[in-house]
Amino acid sequence: MERVVQILRALLRRALGENGREPPALVDVAIESAAQPRLWVEFSNGYRTSAPLLPEDCFSFCERHSAWDLASLRRALLSEARFAYTRMLQDQSDMRERRRRAWVTEQMRRLGHGLAQSLRPRRDALRFAGFGGGRTFLDEGRSEAHERGMRLLKENLSPAQLQQYHKYGYFEVIGGRSGKRYRIRHGRSMNIDQLDKNGRRICGWCFFPEGSLVTGDVMLAQKTALELFELEALKIANKMW
Amino acid sequence: MGIQIVMDRSGDTRHEFDTADSRSVALAEKRFRELTGKGFRAVALAKDGGPGRLIGKFDPQVEQTLFIPQLQGG
Repeated sequence: MERVVQILRALLRRALGENGREPPALVDVAIESAAQPRLWVEFSNGYRTSAPLLPEDCFSFCERHSAWDLASLRRALLSEARFAYTRMLQDQSDMRERRRRAWVTEQMRRLGHGLAQSLRPRRDALRFAGFGGGRTFLDEGRSEAHERGMRLLKENLSPAQLQQYHKYGYFEVIGGRSGKRYRIRHGRSMNIDQLDKNGRRICGWCFFPEGSLVTGDVMLAQKTALELFELEALKIANKMW
Repeated sequence: MGIQIVMDRSGDTRHEFDTADSRSVALAEKRFRELTGKGFRAVALAKDGGPGRLIGKFDPQVEQTLFIPQLQGG
């Protein structure tokens, strides 16, 4: 690359660096003829920048463009500058686009990580023998309220239900009015399955007591409702297929 | 001795009352009325984890009464 083109590009890069986010349009290129000639580049926002230019910097460029006077040299340099500046703007735009994409990707990754963390079972979640001593099952904070709720639930499960719950994380209830089988899974909503005689899920039911109760309370309320006022509970509940 | 167990955000709140003390029983009855008036269902809990019994009227002889807030569909 000719030396004058290198100088020209350096000036254009400087202008881009100085005017960061809103690069101005290239207006003109000028050669200042003096004892020490300088190459000037001017932009639409009034920004001007220059660098010293020696005659020997221009020889090969003048030859290539057959520019043997200042006017034709200026025209050739302006054309070269426009071409180079357009490329630089395009590169800058591509770079910004890449950075934006990388930023979005990173944010999505963090969001996904946060979501995964919030859905991940915590260490202090319920532990069921069937899943091994060290493994946890479902998400629940070990608050005093939670423990009290779980204690109340366990105190009011039949031995068979308690065993089932410890082993599988759910227990079965027989509807007090219909005699239908229901499975109440550990959870506070959308955790009731209606089963057929072979234990296959027919549909799901969703109802729970008002007041943001802890899991143990909710499950006990669901069990009690199905055993003692099944039809009323199902009338309130939402059915899920 | 009777216990009224009210489900709430803290897990549950328990109120004990002495069945031999008329004042204590009256207080328990008042609580029963207030809660059922708010839509709570009162259930006499069975000892073996069985279905229990729904009660619409205060009975001081019931050992453990569970109060369940009104249900809602999800």
